[in-house]
Amino acid sequence: MDEALRAIADPTRRAIVRLVRDGEMSAGEIAAHFPTMSRPAVSQHLRVLSDAGLVDIRPEGNRRLYRWRRDGLQDAAAFLEEMWTDRLGRLKIAAEREEWPERTRAARRARLQQRKERPQ
Amino acid sequence: MTDSTGVVEQTVRISARPATVWKYWTDPRRMCDWWGATAELDARPGGVCVVAMEGGSVMRGEYLELQPYERLVFSFGWEQVDGAPPIAPGASRVEITLVEDEGDTILTLRHTGIPASAAELHNAGWAHVLPLLVAAA
Repeated sequence: MDEALRAIADPTRRAIVRLVRDGEMSAGEIAAHFPTMSRPAVSQHLRVLSDAGLVDIRPEGNRRLYRWRRDGLQDAAAFLEEMWTDRLGRLKIAAEREEWPERTRAARRARLQQRKERPQ
Repeated sequence: MTDSTGVVEQTVRISARPATVWKYWTDPRRMCDWWGATAELDARPGGVCVVAMEGGSVMRGEYLELQPYERLVFSFGWEQVDGAPPIAPGASRVEITLVEDEGDTILTLRHTGIPASAAELHNAGWAHVLPLLVAAA
């Protein structure tokens, strides 16, 4: 447990865990998300995560696919708490974007109306 | 292992009317703007609510209650449990309420019937890790 906590204390490794949270990724795909970091450095982070039992590795051809080992690490409510926070944030953005042009027009109409009503 | 059930409750204020927000729970195209990669939705009581995530997990639910623009309830479970917590289809329930407030919508989500599967591990120290993951998002 201590090893896992130490592994996740590093921001790069937390970013990697988030990348492989919803699906598998190869080392190359993961490294592409960290353009300023060398491949060996990324590999080292992956090794730490794997040693700590935080990611599963599945070989496929000449690639190694990484995925977060969620089972046993996180209780279901915590997983869903995080999922809903993330998703409701996206829903908010999408719904506001859809209604935004209409709100802008309504605000403009209200301003024009005010101007008309103002005594000259 | 104890088999109690958990509840997740969240509230978010959205600068859009309830009628607009409602569509994000009933229209497949809009559902894919925020939740899944694909969605099959039949928004009527007893209709399917299936949302496939980008990672391959599939949420299979059923609409249970629909009061347009105010309240929507669906059952929630994972068809494929690889990587997702083991909640069988029909096992848990999500209630969405929409309340209009000065043209905005106050959305409250209540997810009930969640199995508290790895509670002992959570108590053993994972409670500290989760906020770290969320904070870094």
